[in-house]
Amino acid sequence: MKNALWSNVFKNWQTEESQTVLTLKQVPVFSGLRPRELKAVENLVHNRTYQPGEMIFKRLAPGEGMYIILSGKVEIYLEPEPEQRNVLATLSNGDFFGELSLLDDEVRSAAAVAAEATELLGFFRPDLFSLLERNPELGNKILINLARVISTRLRKTNDLLTEAQKSLSHESK
Amino acid sequence: MNQNRDPLLQIYHLFIGLISIGALYIIWPYIASVVVLLIFAFLLTTILLPSVDFMERKIKSRGLSVLAVTLALSALIIVFIGSFASGLYTQGVEFTQQIGTDTYQDNLTHLVQKTKDSMPAFVQDLLPSDSDESGSLIGSVLKNFSGVLQNLLSVAGAIGSFIFNFVMVLIFTVILLYEYHNFKRSLVRFISNKYFEIGLRLIFNIERAVSSYLRGQLLAASSVGLMSIVGLFILNMFGANLTLVIFIGIIAGLANLIPLVGPFVGMVPAIMIAVMNNLGNEAAFSHQLFNVIPSPFYLVDIILMFIIVQQIDNNFVTPMLVGESVGLHPMLVMIALLVGGTLLGPMGMLFAVPAAGVLKVVGKEWSFVSKNAHLL
Repeated sequence: MKNALWSNVFKNWQTEESQTVLTLKQVPVFSGLRPRELKAVENLVHNRTYQPGEMIFKRLAPGEGMYIILSGKVEIYLEPEPEQRNVLATLSNGDFFGELSLLDDEVRSAAAVAAEATELLGFFRPDLFSLLERNPELGNKILINLARVISTRLRKTNDLLTEAQKSLSHESK
Repeated sequence: MNQNRDPLLQIYHLFIGLISIGALYIIWPYIASVVVLLIFAFLLTTILLPSVDFMERKIKSRGLSVLAVTLALSALIIVFIGSFASGLYTQGVEFTQQIGTDTYQDNLTHLVQKTKDSMPAFVQDLLPSDSDESGSLIGSVLKNFSGVLQNLLSVAGAIGSFIFNFVMVLIFTVILLYEYHNFKRSLVRFISNKYFEIGLRLIFNIERAVSSYLRGQLLAASSVGLMSIVGLFILNMFGANLTLVIFIGIIAGLANLIPLVGPFVGMVPAIMIAVMNNLGNEAAFSHQLFNVIPSPFYLVDIILMFIIVQQIDNNFVTPMLVGESVGLHPMLVMIALLVGGTLLGPMGMLFAVPAAGVLKVVGKEWSFVSKNAHLL
């Protein structure tokens, strides 16, 4: 039988990874982090629960950071009215969104709504700044990962642009 | 989301709010002193937090960082209070011995007479001219001094209470420093989803404004303290005969934390010590600044030195260190000081400007939230 006292004393020695750490591991922004670093990030992120249909953020709202889906589904769209909504993407477990707000003070480019009962992890700019102050090594790792994510997306956008230009030039010929 | 507009729910919230205010009003007298200690601990935490975060970056342990910073601070305060107390004791003993001698009483009578003589005739007429009366005045002054010295027991009680409060603030500060980021995370958990991001933004901006203001003030106070010490040493080189120079400087620096009133408060100990040390010294009494302006006991020199220090601080040091971190209009600073002073006395004056600064940041963020309310 497990002794409650000793299990409490050695609670920091537990090697089992929490659901949060397991989810963070899947996110490219936190890839390559050591278990101890993932634990530090776990202590920074905010757990939030949303009801089906509840707004996470509106388009053009001031953005403070990114969200990671622990469970549930999130829909991303541009239109403000529910009946006009044209869903751009449906995200599920392990997906993340809003990461650009970690770097700039700009408004959200799209809206996000919980499609079902959803549990999210929020990682915000003040948390990143605090991490950069206290643990610059870990903060820089996250920033580099963030730069990688954005550069991958930029490459994809460039490819799409090139293809679009090619197809336009074919059509004009 | 529509639940918030339900009138029944609104009445329920109003009811709960009123009960909470009533309960707070009843228990306030019992918790007021603890709340004041917590406010002190929070301010100390805000000042020390960057040092703890910096240490944590270097030694990678929050606990050890908190321990190192707290021990360093405690050592500094103990050394300061210890040497201040011993310096004050020596000064007190010397002064008591001086009071005991007849020459000191004679000097004081002589001083009163000389001061009267230097006044215009119409002012002299207004003052009691009888030598017995002036003698009794001096007698009562000396009696009061002895009374103060005899009441050391009550002073010891006040010191005991100060030490208890100091230790409590230190304990609260250690806990707050260690758990600061976790506490903050636990507190923001209660913000609703709708206002979560804007709430985080508000907390971050307030934290940044208050922290930079407090650190700026502390650095400005240190510079005033240092400049005052240098100034007093220079005055001593010209024969001002001032003792406890370092402590006068530190007190001037600390008094500088209270805007407008502080600089004048800072001058008082220097003036008192100059008079106490130079009483009976004819050269000091007839001293003239630049051989032109009469400056008995170097009083004008001391006031001029503090004015110069204030000007350097106001025009160069404070704008550079504090900058526009709070950026309150001087009129608002005065109103805040008056309100703080009326409500809580000197402590209220000390906290008035940071509190007004917090209100300004909250107001600014509130207007930002109002402008973007349709987006939340």
